[in-house]
Amino acid sequence: MKKLKLAIEGMHCASCASNVEKSLMKVNGVKSATVNLMMRKGYLEVEDKVSNEDLKKAVSKTGYKVVNIEDE
Amino acid sequence: MEHNHEQTPEEQEIISWKKKTYFAVIITLPIIFLMYQSVLFGKELLSINVTNILLLILGFPIIFVIGYDIIKSGLKGIINLYFNMDSLIALGTVIAYTTGILNFFNFIANYSGIASMIMTIFIIGKFVESKARGKASQEIRKLLELGAKKAVIIKNNKEIEIPISEVKIGDIILVKPGEKIPTDGIIIKGQSSIDESMVTGESLPVDKKIKDLVIGATINQDGVLYIKATKIGKDTFLAHIIKLVEEAQGTKVPIQKLADKITGIFVPVILVLSILTIIGWYIYNGDISLAVGAGIAVLVIACPCALGLATPIALMVGSGIGAKRGILIRKGEAIQTMREIKTIVFDKTGTVTKGKPEVTDIYTTKNIKEDYLTQIAFSLEKLSEHPIARAITEKFKNKKQRTVNNFKIIRGKGVEGKISNKNYLIGNIALMKDMKIKTIEFESIIEKYQNSGKTTMIVAEDKKIIGIIAVADTIKGDSKEAIYKLNNLGYKTIMITGDNEITAKAIAKQAGITQVIANVLPEDKAKKVEELQKENMVAFIGDGINDAPAIKQSNVGIAMGSGTDVAIEAGDIVLTKSSLMGVVESINLSKFTFSKIKQNLFWAFAYNVIAIPLAVAGLLHPAVAELAMALSSITVVTNANLLRRKKL
Repeated sequence: MKKLKLAIEGMHCASCASNVEKSLMKVNGVKSATVNLMMRKGYLEVEDKVSNEDLKKAVSKTGYKVVNIEDE
Repeated sequence: MEHNHEQTPEEQEIISWKKKTYFAVIITLPIIFLMYQSVLFGKELLSINVTNILLLILGFPIIFVIGYDIIKSGLKGIINLYFNMDSLIALGTVIAYTTGILNFFNFIANYSGIASMIMTIFIIGKFVESKARGKASQEIRKLLELGAKKAVIIKNNKEIEIPISEVKIGDIILVKPGEKIPTDGIIIKGQSSIDESMVTGESLPVDKKIKDLVIGATINQDGVLYIKATKIGKDTFLAHIIKLVEEAQGTKVPIQKLADKITGIFVPVILVLSILTIIGWYIYNGDISLAVGAGIAVLVIACPCALGLATPIALMVGSGIGAKRGILIRKGEAIQTMREIKTIVFDKTGTVTKGKPEVTDIYTTKNIKEDYLTQIAFSLEKLSEHPIARAITEKFKNKKQRTVNNFKIIRGKGVEGKISNKNYLIGNIALMKDMKIKTIEFESIIEKYQNSGKTTMIVAEDKKIIGIIAVADTIKGDSKEAIYKLNNLGYKTIMITGDNEITAKAIAKQAGITQVIANVLPEDKAKKVEELQKENMVAFIGDGINDAPAIKQSNVGIAMGSGTDVAIEAGDIVLTKSSLMGVVESINLSKFTFSKIKQNLFWAFAYNVIAIPLAVAGLLHPAVAELAMALSSITVVTNANLLRRKKL
């Protein structure tokens, strides 16, 4: 398990954040995802097998962009 | 030096909306002129066809150039079935714009001018909202920018200025008066008073000398300091605080669950409702223009933003205000739970009291010299970390330290060890009784000390008492005021301690605490909290190090300590200043923040519940609908910003 912090660009409404959350939760191996609209951050708990690419794809599917992934 | 200030994402967003607002408004003005020429001049100045063509030409850049990002994100959302706010605006404006083309075939009324107005109002709304949001996050941003950028280190007897990221543990840093201390460290030369208010909320400067620890980002006021860096980057106290405040923004307040559920399905529901509105109206009176107008109004009035922003924006303002005063809200849930708290349990040592007991009396039996007793006490207690042990070692630090064998800590009771083949015990009366040591002839002396709130440490040599050392811990300056306020607010205040009942009661009386639970071993504090929870919701306040389990067990756990002493990971709320007034302030802050959340949710729900049916009923002009929508999210953010006016 690892904890990740995603910086996400482009979200400007509440349903955006909720969409990103949903899309991230669908990625296999993501245990929890909380997206904060105000901080433009996503806080994730994921299994080690989850690649950054998978997460970036999940976010871009909803129309937004991951600009940074930080391992905590 | 710090002029090359980089723009934060917030600032970039505000600037981008601002530019869009300017262009959109400039182009919209002639559109309004065209749309309302008959109202303005009493007659149409241009033929209808020319007007319509101009409306389409002027509207194009507003919707498809200035609004490009919104249209793109909205349509992408529709294609991928991740509907968002933009999907509604994109559909609303594109449909309205299209009516301008269809109008040439006399098929439908022309809404293309309204399309431009909707997009412009949406953009103005976003601009105002982004500014208000920037204000909402100002305290937290200040916290992020608090760290020093550069440090002057001493290398080979030379002063070298380096960026903060290049400072290594062990580097000797020079800090001149008026400068920011670059990172956490220990003073190796010099003394000064240090303003720690930005990190701990404590307004009075703290005097520090050699061997004292300093916190990065605090300000050295009047002396030259040489500091050895002990923590850098992510490990510094400031970095921990920032991480904690940031993470708190990601936590949820339970009351928002319903709003979150609604925002999750909001947009698709509105899309369906809009289609139903168009069909309904068309069937009802056969007027396609009216039907489409109502449908557009439904699309653009619905706003998940007010609902979705209501809680996090208030939490952000609240935690920002808190952080400035040394109150760190770690979990959003605590704000809500705080309202139901009836009982507040305080740990005694370090929470109600200063936590730094001092030796007040020394008693020796006949034939025992004070010097001998204190030497024994010093040698044994030197090996213990307990606050009382520290008081003893501090007091007798000039004594000779003797070699101790078989040293053992008896938790909550005392210590034992062997010095020159003699067995020694130092501890409370319970320890003496456990070890079957006769205490009867000393009980009156012990009682005398205890009645005045002093803790007695009994020293026994080979199972015979040779002396007693009395230690007292006094209450903090503002404990009394804080407890008075809490009692007045109707809380039941309880103090819990490992001390005996008499000492505990003496302290409680001084502080004004109504109830005392004494003789509780550290590991039993959580159990006591659990018992109290059977009656009421309980908040526990402690230093977070020894009472972490009790803090965890309680409904709202508050960890407090002065500066870096606090165990930051322990509480739901963390106080970085060592004052019980912080507890009063956190309770007030929680209450104010939660009531803002409730107000916001009420407005957001009320707005949607009233506005959507009006739009469905065809009673709202689409541009007015969009204006109402923009105002609803601005209201929520502005209302959250009003939290700043509250006095904690």
